[in-house]
Amino acid sequence: MKILVPVKRVVDYNVRVRVRADGSGIETGNVKMSMNPFDEIALEEAVRLKEKGIATEVLAVSIGVPQTRDTLRTALAMGADRALLVALPQDAEQDLEPLCVARILAKIADSEKVDLVIAGKQAIDNDMNATGQMLAAALGWGQGTYASAVDVAEGSVQVTREVDGGLQTLRLKIPAVITTDLRLNQPRYVALPAIMKAKKKTIEDIPLETLGIDITPRLEILKTVEPPTRQAGVKVHSVDELLSKLKTEAGVL
Amino acid sequence: MFLNETQEEVRATTRSFVNAVVRPAAEALDREERFPAEIYEEMGKLGLFGIAVPEELGGPGFDTLTYAVVMEELSRGYASVADQCGLVELITTLLVRHGTPEQQKLLPSIMSMQQKVAYCITEPEAGTDVSGIRTTAVKDGEGWVLNGGKIWIHNAPVADLGFVLARTDKEAGNRGMSIFIVDLHAKGVERGPKEHKMGQRASQVGALDFQDVRLGPNALLGEMNRGFHMMMSVLDKGRVGIASLAVGIAQAGLEAAVEYAGTRKQFGKHISEFQGVQWLLADMAKDIEAARLLVYAAAMKIDHGLDATRSCSMAKCFAGDMAVARTADAVQVFGGSGYIRGFEVERLYRDAKITQIYEGTNQIQRMIIARELLKKGATA
Repeated sequence: MKILVPVKRVVDYNVRVRVRADGSGIETGNVKMSMNPFDEIALEEAVRLKEKGIATEVLAVSIGVPQTRDTLRTALAMGADRALLVALPQDAEQDLEPLCVARILAKIADSEKVDLVIAGKQAIDNDMNATGQMLAAALGWGQGTYASAVDVAEGSVQVTREVDGGLQTLRLKIPAVITTDLRLNQPRYVALPAIMKAKKKTIEDIPLETLGIDITPRLEILKTVEPPTRQAGVKVHSVDELLSKLKTEAGVL
Repeated sequence: MFLNETQEEVRATTRSFVNAVVRPAAEALDREERFPAEIYEEMGKLGLFGIAVPEELGGPGFDTLTYAVVMEELSRGYASVADQCGLVELITTLLVRHGTPEQQKLLPSIMSMQQKVAYCITEPEAGTDVSGIRTTAVKDGEGWVLNGGKIWIHNAPVADLGFVLARTDKEAGNRGMSIFIVDLHAKGVERGPKEHKMGQRASQVGALDFQDVRLGPNALLGEMNRGFHMMMSVLDKGRVGIASLAVGIAQAGLEAAVEYAGTRKQFGKHISEFQGVQWLLADMAKDIEAARLLVYAAAMKIDHGLDATRSCSMAKCFAGDMAVARTADAVQVFGGSGYIRGFEVERLYRDAKITQIYEGTNQIQRMIIARELLKKGATA
């Protein structure tokens, strides 16, 4: 079984994100970038399936500026067998929209004869939460989103989903698309010897134009703003004062 | 900027491990003076022991600069953990350079921490002046008989294998010492009690006593009577390691101080708004950066095969002095809290002090720097 894992290069989750002065987006110059944490979980799941002898090949795919190679290098060090980069020009400022990403991935899943796609449920930069679903639609495959457990059987995969109010279990026919939630697994730390070994693997390039996909944006970002700063709280001296403030100022009673 | 893609990745993976596993454990390890076997087992799996061991011998084969990066990151979590990495690095470097193929079979178990090592040099009468050692190894048939005692040996209370410097020729001074690999569970090896230290308290330190310990023919590491020179050959790398460790301690202090200054309020505003506090933070940051650059320069000289002795001593000396001064500043930013057990900066200040003492005192480093200047000239 061949598994495709899309990985995205995003602003590291530890970075304090700043909005660009002109409001056109967030500052990415001189900012530490890392693999989207949900994609790490997806890759970990795929690598574990390979280690269990269920998967035969794990293919990491990324779409992005040339520096995205670093992210793919990490994917190789974590255990991906191959890495494909759909390179965008260095000045590609804006993210590709989920629909374009899904169409690109669908092409690759098709040409690579992939059996399973395991993707992060969303990227932590723009939180779209759409690519996995659109990819399933584009391929005409079943989808199991927000997975907190994945069990592969002969010809099918059982996915436990985290939904409001509990867990839902689905059985999907393979091929299928799975998107990962936070509690699916704890991704491994990359071992130092694996970093050295990954250096020797090649990252295959797929020129965007060979895929014949229109990446013209359909959405227009009007404005990006910082979240409002939290107002300082007040101390109340009695229950009566609290009640009166809740009634008069907060208007919640 | 100074690091390549691979080194950045090594830094990132080490940092995420340290943030999740090492830094949160440091306070309890310090309090309990406990050997964190579970952390070391995990580090063994990640390849954090024996960083320079070449790939054909089962290691990742990284250069000295990468080693420096790892040491700083580990130490930012907890200096004792970094020092364990430094110890294994020296032992594995000696084994790679001087070990027979038979002896190199020890590498996997040392790198996975199944066998804990001790580097046994210091004696009561031989600290900075190593030539004063009195431990002897006397030829006896195929092997040797070891007698003597060592003090302040890192890992002595828990170690399985000792790399012991012993005198093999009484008349020959520095050319009369050899290094032996000693099974510390063998008959005749006695361990002294664990020392209770000021800082780096998870590092187990104690004495070892050798009474007619019989060593087999494979116990000799490298050439007979070349032990002193073998030891000296890894000193530069050792100094880079300790200098990085000092930078890591100070970096942890800076991070804690910046965060605290931005949250602690006095006179109705954050103390970070007071210029007096800002100057402390700025001085900390600039000295840490200066020390880090000295470390990188020294490491790169080693990696390029240049004469690195002066650079390594400058890095070790500057970084150690800096770490003590700047963790003191971190305590100052925290005010009274910084003096209380349980606050990270209190521990960091204690952990920093030994970096001026071990791996050659900073007085010795200054002697080396001066000696190099007077011998080779002041030109940079």
